[in-house]
Amino acid sequence: MKSTIPWLIAAVAGSVVIAAYFIPAAQSWQDAIGQWFEVLAAVAFILGGANLCLQNLQKISARQAGWGYAAVTLVSFVVTLGVGLLKIGVPVEDPQHPWAGSYQAEGSAEWWLFEYAYNPLVATMFALLAFYVASAAFRAFRLKNAEATLLLLTAFVVLLGRTYAGTVLTAQVPDEYSAFSIPGLTTIIMGVFNTAGQRAIMIGIALGVAATSLKVLLGINRSYLGSGDG
Amino acid sequence: MTCRYALWILAGSFCLIWTTARAVAQPAGVGPAPPHDLVAADHPGDNGNAIDLKWTLSGDDHPDFKPRRIRAYRIDRTLIDEPLSDDAVLESFEVPYGVAQYTDRRCRPSAAYRYSAVAIAVDGSVSPPVATSGETRAIRQWFDSSRTSFAVILVIVCGLVIFYTERTKAGKSLHVREIAALTAMREAVGRATEMGRPCLFITGIEDMNEIATVAGVAILSHVAETAADYDAEIVVPTTRSLVMTAAQEAVAAAYLAADRSDAYNPNNIYYVTDEQFAFVAHITGYMVRERPAACFYAGIFYAESLILAETGNSVGAIQIAGTSEATQLPFFVAGCDYTLIGEELFAASAYLTREPQQLGSLKGQDAGKVLAAAVLVVGCLLKTAVVLRPDSAGPGEWLKFLMSTCLGGD
Amino acid sequence: MNREKRIWGILFVLAGCFLLYRAMLTRDGMGKVYLKPAAAAVADAPPSYVRARPDDPQAALSLPRTLGIWFAAFLTLSIFSFLYKDNPFYRFAEAVMVGVSAAYLMVAGFWDGIVPKLLGRLAPAQMSWASPSLENQSPDWWGLVPLVMSAMLLARLLPRGGWIARWPLAFIVGTYAGIRLISFLDADFVSQIRNTIVPLVVMNQAGQLDLWGSVRNVLMIVGVLSSLAYFYFSLDHKGAYGVVARVGVWYLMITFGASFAFTVMGRIALFASRLEFLFDDWLWLIDPLGKRSDLL
Repeated sequence: MKSTIPWLIAAVAGSVVIAAYFIPAAQSWQDAIGQWFEVLAAVAFILGGANLCLQNLQKISARQAGWGYAAVTLVSFVVTLGVGLLKIGVPVEDPQHPWAGSYQAEGSAEWWLFEYAYNPLVATMFALLAFYVASAAFRAFRLKNAEATLLLLTAFVVLLGRTYAGTVLTAQVPDEYSAFSIPGLTTIIMGVFNTAGQRAIMIGIALGVAATSLKVLLGINRSYLGSGDG
Repeated sequence: MTCRYALWILAGSFCLIWTTARAVAQPAGVGPAPPHDLVAADHPGDNGNAIDLKWTLSGDDHPDFKPRRIRAYRIDRTLIDEPLSDDAVLESFEVPYGVAQYTDRRCRPSAAYRYSAVAIAVDGSVSPPVATSGETRAIRQWFDSSRTSFAVILVIVCGLVIFYTERTKAGKSLHVREIAALTAMREAVGRATEMGRPCLFITGIEDMNEIATVAGVAILSHVAETAADYDAEIVVPTTRSLVMTAAQEAVAAAYLAADRSDAYNPNNIYYVTDEQFAFVAHITGYMVRERPAACFYAGIFYAESLILAETGNSVGAIQIAGTSEATQLPFFVAGCDYTLIGEELFAASAYLTREPQQLGSLKGQDAGKVLAAAVLVVGCLLKTAVVLRPDSAGPGEWLKFLMSTCLGGD
Repeated sequence: MNREKRIWGILFVLAGCFLLYRAMLTRDGMGKVYLKPAAAAVADAPPSYVRARPDDPQAALSLPRTLGIWFAAFLTLSIFSFLYKDNPFYRFAEAVMVGVSAAYLMVAGFWDGIVPKLLGRLAPAQMSWASPSLENQSPDWWGLVPLVMSAMLLARLLPRGGWIARWPLAFIVGTYAGIRLISFLDADFVSQIRNTIVPLVVMNQAGQLDLWGSVRNVLMIVGVLSSLAYFYFSLDHKGAYGVVARVGVWYLMITFGASFAFTVMGRIALFASRLEFLFDDWLWLIDPLGKRSDLL
């Protein structure tokens, strides 16, 4: 029973949305649902924030290994939340509406945290990818089987084909055989093989999404409701 | 005498040329020829806010006329029902020369409109108007007929899935090929139990509004049940609060199904942050410190997939990944021990549970692929026939039926 | 003290000395941000500032932003240190990252989501203090739907009654199951099939056989069909069918190789931009944009 009513809600809501796609008067309902989801996701932050605070407070109170870092997380969280919600340092452009300024206006405390903490940290994590790409390529160089060899060779050709080096290396190839130059091979790989593989993957995924969606609407998949059914 | 005749001939020729030139040239103040046969009709399959207009081009609007004579057409609309309302004010639209149709999408449902059209010459002069006979109303239809072909495809694909699902429910057995990644899941959890280290499960970085995340939670449910059976610890950090809620429900139910409710630790399923790279910073730190023996990635991943796979490799974990993001699959293929490619992610829950209805849905997916392949083959053969025999009407008509009517193209 | 710690200690001391030297003993210093008042676009507008060059007569040192640059550089180096191994600096940066990002997105969710799209729709006049544009709007009672669902969701925080949080979750999963079913079948199924229908024989403008064009199309069709065969679940990959599936795997590996290559160059560019921050904005060792000196 605990999952029957929610399943019925899911089934009815999903069926209505599918029908609405074909009914002109209801075709804008998807936009409304999108807005409702944005509100729900924003409210759900409260659940996540409460969980984050609880987890870190438990670590601190139990003096678990790394509790100092939990304190740092908690302090960072509370300070950022506080200055953002209270719009500390936001310049007042309209004295009649002192709270109308943007929470991320330049010069505000939230802006400072975004500019000098959030952004640099995220950008640096992103930059680590350069090193991880190198280690992933090094592992792929081990050529453990034919498929890995094919993946590596293709990556090598396409990488060269997108640079000046690729053009220079095969500049001597006659025009009638330009398809076998590195830029030519790159074009063939991207236009034929890559496109074919991408299309097959997308067709398969579309069918997978359709089947999974139907399983949700038919109640076969209720794992997200905790029914124990897959 | 000869000179007098010559003068008369010259004067007469001049008069003739001048008169002809005047007859051909547009005298100032006289407008161009009007368009004609202006017809207005309700736009089909819409919400009652559009009316289609068609007319025959003005006689002065011809591509052979150099220089061009017509600049545009102006369509004027009046509301008949309520002459004193705002809509009664003349509303006009301009359409470039050479265009003989227009769809007015700013109508009110069931309101009565009248249209008139004029041709506007290059010099700004305007033709006499031509009007529609009677009133035209935009009617609200209940079905968008432009989506009929897609509705048929939707019914066929969904029908196939439902048909096979019901068929297996009735007891028909099904064989499915082995997928190494799914067979290895149980071994991976067993390995974690032997080594006394936890299992790490990441359901992706998108929310519950993505079907891949729902599929990931379904896989989590099964892996959690296996972990409960083997008495292994499973940790599920999430990047969305709704996913955390769903994951807690799934894992709690899995432990209950395995009769190990006492071992369920809700603190193991927790929220980290919505930010993608902050989340992965936390995960990589956890991996390096706690050294999980098995890492499962099932859902939607973006750039962080590489970091996860490489870090998992560096701590010696067995890694099983699945994502529907084709751009991230290379990194999982290169870095993980097993990878579920695209559609296999959505098939995983059927493989793991082996429930008849789930396996039936797999068969429905297969039937969809057969349908896609059949349409492809037929379409390509028809197109080839059109190329080889361009004058033959049959293949061309069949191809048009397939591409326009069935597949909804132009 | 073991050898590794000794080496790291020496490196840190040397780095500290270098930073002290750059910051205190060189003419221009490093890691400083100067601001000058911006020209007011509107009368009575609050004062605003723009970045200025150090030699600008109106420039004044901005202590918060200067501290921000140093803090950002410290966090950047802390994250990079993870490439060597896990360490307290990385753990500190990770903790700050989790706390700041979680809270920042919550703040954004509140001011950009809850205020305009929930509270602003239900009580626009009462919320005009946050957004003056809401003053003349009338309430939209459809906003009660997300309000009720939000209350159900928040019931999860209560000791009992958390079961009702499944209802809004089910609503979201159900509606998006319907939305995605349609969008994927339309964009990824029908459209891909339509775009893949190509002639197996291609003629050029002169009406003669275009061999390369025909081969390309045949290879494309073979690729799509063999890759679809790989994903077929009901048949084992054995015998003749196994050969077809193997061809499909090769196509997929080529696809993945192309994706891999496309991604690599973008990742290198990201690393270069962080290096630019460290060497330009913090250490003042380079000045590619002429922010502090005239471009040569």
